Amino acid sequence: MQRIRIAVVGIIFLGIISVNLANAAEFELPIKEHVFDNGLRLLVIERPGESRVVSKIFTDMGALNETPGQYGAAHFLEHLMFKGTPTLGSRDWQREEELHEQIQIAEDALEEERNRARNDIRERGVFHDYQHASTTPRIEELQGLIDSLNQQVLELNDEGPMKRWYQAYGGTRLTATTEQEYMKFDLDLPADRVELFLRVEADRMENSVFRNFDAERMILVEQRLGDLNRPDTEYREAMNSLVGRASMVYVPEGYANDFNQYTRRYERELYETYFVPNNTTLIFIGGVTLEDMIPKVDKYFGHMERRPEPARYQGREPLPSAEKQLTWRSSTMSPRVEIRYQIPGVGHPDRPVFDVLAEALQPHLQAVLAANDVAGTISVNTRVVHTERFGVPASINFEVLVSDPSSLDAAEGAVLTELKRLASTPLAEADVALARKKLRTEWYRTAADPNALAFQIGHFEVMDSWQTLQPYLEAREQASGEDIARLVDSYFVAKNRSVGVVTPEGASE
Amino acid sequence: MKRLGLLLLITSVSASAQEITHPTRMNLPASEFSRPDPTDYQLVLENGLVAYIAEAHQVPLVTLSAFIAAGAVSDEKQGSAETLAEALRRGPTGDDAGEFQKTLNYMTAEFSVSMHDEWTEVTLNVPLEDLDAALPLFAKIIRGPAIDNDALERAKLKAAPGGKDLSGESGPALYEGSLAAAVDRFHEVLFKDHPYGVGPTVRDFDDLEVSDVRKFHATRFVPANMTLAIAGDIDAEDIQSAIVDLFDDMRFSDAPARVLAPDIGHSPLTQHTFPAEKLQSWLVFGHELPVTPLEDQAALEVMNYILAGGHLYTRMTVETRYRYGYTNDASGFLEDRWFGPGTYTFRSYSRHDVIRNIYENMVEEIDRIRANEVTDEELFVAKGALTDGSFQIRYLDGYTIARNFAMERLRFGDHSRSATYVDRVRAVSADDVLEAAKKYLHPDRMQVVLVGKEIDLLD
Repeated sequence: MQRIRIAVVGIIFLGIISVNLANAAEFELPIKEHVFDNGLRLLVIERPGESRVVSKIFTDMGALNETPGQYGAAHFLEHLMFKGTPTLGSRDWQREEELHEQIQIAEDALEEERNRARNDIRERGVFHDYQHASTTPRIEELQGLIDSLNQQVLELNDEGPMKRWYQAYGGTRLTATTEQEYMKFDLDLPADRVELFLRVEADRMENSVFRNFDAERMILVEQRLGDLNRPDTEYREAMNSLVGRASMVYVPEGYANDFNQYTRRYERELYETYFVPNNTTLIFIGGVTLEDMIPKVDKYFGHMERRPEPARYQGREPLPSAEKQLTWRSSTMSPRVEIRYQIPGVGHPDRPVFDVLAEALQPHLQAVLAANDVAGTISVNTRVVHTERFGVPASINFEVLVSDPSSLDAAEGAVLTELKRLASTPLAEADVALARKKLRTEWYRTAADPNALAFQIGHFEVMDSWQTLQPYLEAREQASGEDIARLVDSYFVAKNRSVGVVTPEGASE
Repeated sequence: MKRLGLLLLITSVSASAQEITHPTRMNLPASEFSRPDPTDYQLVLENGLVAYIAEAHQVPLVTLSAFIAAGAVSDEKQGSAETLAEALRRGPTGDDAGEFQKTLNYMTAEFSVSMHDEWTEVTLNVPLEDLDAALPLFAKIIRGPAIDNDALERAKLKAAPGGKDLSGESGPALYEGSLAAAVDRFHEVLFKDHPYGVGPTVRDFDDLEVSDVRKFHATRFVPANMTLAIAGDIDAEDIQSAIVDLFDDMRFSDAPARVLAPDIGHSPLTQHTFPAEKLQSWLVFGHELPVTPLEDQAALEVMNYILAGGHLYTRMTVETRYRYGYTNDASGFLEDRWFGPGTYTFRSYSRHDVIRNIYENMVEEIDRIRANEVTDEELFVAKGALTDGSFQIRYLDGYTIARNFAMERLRFGDHSRSATYVDRVRAVSADDVLEAAKKYLHPDRMQVVLVGKEIDLLD
């Protein structure tokens, strides 16, 4: 028996949240929901007459679920899940399966040998004369065996088995993303071919084969090198680790050592734990209806059994206890001072007000800097690693880039003094109103693109609930200067502050 | 216990319950998509100006765009186009620059001016509540930008050494090692001494008068040389009336003659290395792309799609990324120009130790597609992707419909290309692809640009 629940979010929240009715219409999201017996969630925005449909599948897992030494493993899993299945990408699955079994046995032996060779405790902290034994003859032998077996697998494979058929049938925007809190796969295709998405994604979710593991590992290394080519990457990662101590949100997508540690067994463990129907949300926007989609989804996903609820990340930041400061010297980065405070994530009632605060304070603090004769540009954002506006619990960042490094102290002083003042003197309502309008328009630009809209729905679902999205938008419309002052007073306190200062190399050490 | 884990590890196929019909046997329906009729959106003013107006009611936003067939290489006097772009960014003449920015800020508008070599786009996106003010403002910007000495000075500053806008913090350090830098170096190499490669210098601006720029604007920003696209949460009839009110009094004049730029002389295969202290190297190689006749366009697109057309399943991606893990991307780019030679380039990047492998594998694929016919499956994938994928999304909603029709009309004068596109692609054969590869790919005259570590790729 299927449990059918169709909910239009605009109806659900009437009477629960204080809503300005004029604004409610502006943010109405006619999302229809159906939850299958196995826990799979289906969300549809019907747009009759549209010839295409934006399709996404979200899984509630990401970097938050990694363990130390395996950072980036969730992102790597996303790459591996493009490698096909027994029925997509193999010319002889029976033979191929035997080879994968042999590879797994070899990898297990390799891990045992690596564990015997590890001496990380002795070498930890030694950066000037690192003596870690990275290899042994047995490790070399086993790696050679895996390479040889992998070559045999490659002879039995067709590469790109998923993208190929999506492309052939008109699929566009074939992307996938893994962040701290989610993994998703995306497609936009003709609406009458939506079953192709269901067929491929159900197969991907249940039967992924991790082909050509070691070559794909190098793609992550490439992506990491690309990040490290940015002059600011290491600084930002250092700032993140300064701000938070316990939450995985502050950890990057793998350090150099991590990329070599990924194993098929660990990736499979992540896959089997989290890629279960009761941890999955399908989202469609376009020329389909919920009524039509229910039996189609059931055809491809209905046989999957509900599994134990995957363990949620349980790390919690200790209460802030002292102001922290990072001094970073760089010849390539613009000099700057960055002031960060930890803030709550989506679902907490203060979170939407922080959006208004950031939007309102940016021009306000820019004017304050000018009034203090500081030549610089301020950015107020909530970026942590990749995530910008929304996101998991993180920080709000006041980042001032200055043209003259000698003005860094003045810039920091001007911002801190003004923040202190704003705790008791609310911003002018006209400024807050303009900030609200900017956020409103920004949302319209998001919602105008069904791909971006589907992403936000899925993102809210993994962060809190899709049903939080509309009230979140409406709450921003209610935010006042007094609300902002309350946040400034509550959150922008010294012991919750982390300050980063970037000075030119050669400055006094 | 461990053995059990291994079995689970390999696969957990429960084929008896799961629907795993191969995509080719799913009986997916044939495409029923038909391109919208441009006349449904078209407004032609008596002075010859053509506008495309499309309603899109999902959100209360409106996008106003003007496309003008005049760009950085269209000016008779060097620097005129760049100065005009600055004037457009500054806003309408007579309005204080600060007030113009304030107005945009209060509207929460997105305003952009993009000047390409042969055409310019001016776009203003605003909430519906600001449309009444935005429409006349938009018309004022197009018809009367603030062409003055300030605009000239701003353009001159950008032409100065180091004046390139490397937006974003740490911009120069970021640009120094990047694909964008490699592409720029490639264009500098290929278009050396060609009109497409010669930008204005500071001295050019010393010789330039405001009156030169005004003349450029007056002769190029004329109804016959531009199109408009308006889309959003609008009533099309109301917008038609407004467009007539705001633009109908523009004086009719013939579009300026479109002069074809000269061809590029062919150079032998040569490597050009630009050292950069980075963790990766960036590779761009290719040659000129002649103005493509209509009869070749479809086969050329299909050929490129199979070879390298995008960050997807292509021969080059398979032979660099999927099989070997050398690079995140290896793609081919057909960049034709309206009135002269464009470029056909192949681009990749990687850690230094495999950049040569990447180059060699990409070249091997170029040789292979010039020597042998592609497979039926490759043709099937490419045709489906082009007709049911990338072509369809050009007409996804009111915004894309108005924009694409306006661009097509400006460039080609009618809509026959889009009307016949699907049929032309579907008619491409394996032999057509082979002929296109032979005609448009020339390994012997590739210019190979490497930014990063100095590595000899050609020995």
